[in-house]
Amino acid sequence: MLSKIEFKVNGRNTVFSGNPLTRLIDVLREDLGLTGVKEGCGEGECGACSVIKDGKLVTSCIIPVGAVNGSEIYTIEGIRDTEKGKCLVESFAEGGAVQCGFCIPGMVMAAYALLSENPHPTDEEIRKGISGNICRCTGYDLIVASIRLAADKGGDLWA
Amino acid sequence: MGMTYIPSALSEALQLRAGTGARPLAGGTDMMVQAKRGIGLAPEFPYPVMIISGLDELKGIKAREDGTVEIGALSTPAEIAASPLVPWHVRMAAAGMGAVALRNSATIGGNIGNASPKGDLPQPLILLEAEVILVSMHGEKKMLLDDFILGSKKTALRDDELIKSILIPPHSFTYSYYRKIGMRRANAISKLSLSAAAVVKDGEIVDFRAASGAAGPKVIRSHEAEAMIKGHRTEEIPDILDGFLAAWDGAISPHAMPVYRRNTTKRMLSFFLESIFNGSEPGIIGGEV
Repeated sequence: MLSKIEFKVNGRNTVFSGNPLTRLIDVLREDLGLTGVKEGCGEGECGACSVIKDGKLVTSCIIPVGAVNGSEIYTIEGIRDTEKGKCLVESFAEGGAVQCGFCIPGMVMAAYALLSENPHPTDEEIRKGISGNICRCTGYDLIVASIRLAADKGGDLWA
Repeated sequence: MGMTYIPSALSEALQLRAGTGARPLAGGTDMMVQAKRGIGLAPEFPYPVMIISGLDELKGIKAREDGTVEIGALSTPAEIAASPLVPWHVRMAAAGMGAVALRNSATIGGNIGNASPKGDLPQPLILLEAEVILVSMHGEKKMLLDDFILGSKKTALRDDELIKSILIPPHSFTYSYYRKIGMRRANAISKLSLSAAAVVKDGEIVDFRAASGAAGPKVIRSHEAEAMIKGHRTEEIPDILDGFLAAWDGAISPHAMPVYRRNTTKRMLSFFLESIFNGSEPGIIGGEV
């Protein structure tokens, strides 16, 4: 039986020894200060709290921290200074993808997960890749165009 | 509020289950939402819980020598949708669940154990006559999934048991159909769903089955209605269609929007059977929408 939960966040070893049902988002935001992880719906529907767990996109608001023992978690803070992260940030800025910005960390994580699996997505595949991320400002078209831009600009980066 | 445990092996989980009655939490996509208390607060359950997401004994998708496919209870919709071992109907249902992140977290064991009438995976699994393997400290037992799910949110799971895996027997259909109707193309709970399949040999319909989701307290199959199609020749479909549709309509029991659900179910079944009558190419009827 596990009494403490050990995992990695953005490459750093982390140990948690409180209530295992604590939501991963609260550990990331409150304990680790990673406030790029946003809380929208709190029910895994809106994607604002998206992080990458063991290479897969997940919503951190409905994952209990007790379920991440041994996992590697990446948040927007962990990817933004990587080559892939910079490519996405520049493409989102250049493509005008951002209005209020609240959904954007989750959108970037979804785009990161998508392009890492599928470096040359069609527009339909991009829309599917961000289908769990809700944006109330943009109408999505500029976000889709910006992810296409990141795929084109990044080239071999995503392969 | 109950205790929360994190067993590190299946044997430990089964001891906990027998000793404390702790309920299993895997992906959390249903349970964490049901017990949600708000920003900054951990969910609370009125019963003890064990987080079983780390149990390797419940993971993996394998094909047995006889063609049976075994899907571990902790397999995610993303893994199921991507596995070439998994039958088409089940892959379609898995691919249509929630959106990307949910498909990476939810589990087939949870989708079955939650026993929502709108759950996506039980519907094609019941079409394919899948069985569940239940495990306790006393060993394993098998049960038809259609018998395991008793009704809305009710299963035959005993307090000392866990769902270990799902077994799908081999099959080879001439025609297959799957449709989930939701309010959006992603992140949508089923309003209505239907799977159907037929085996046609030399013009004779030797097997025919269908399964209705979100059209009653649990997934509905009507063996009586199916028997009205089986054994007939495809050219007889126009003569037997109305009787079959009436029998199927009598088997489903949608409580909300019954007119819509009944009409749409009839239209989907008619479309499938008329496509067979019209000599469609063997394979998937109606495309992969």
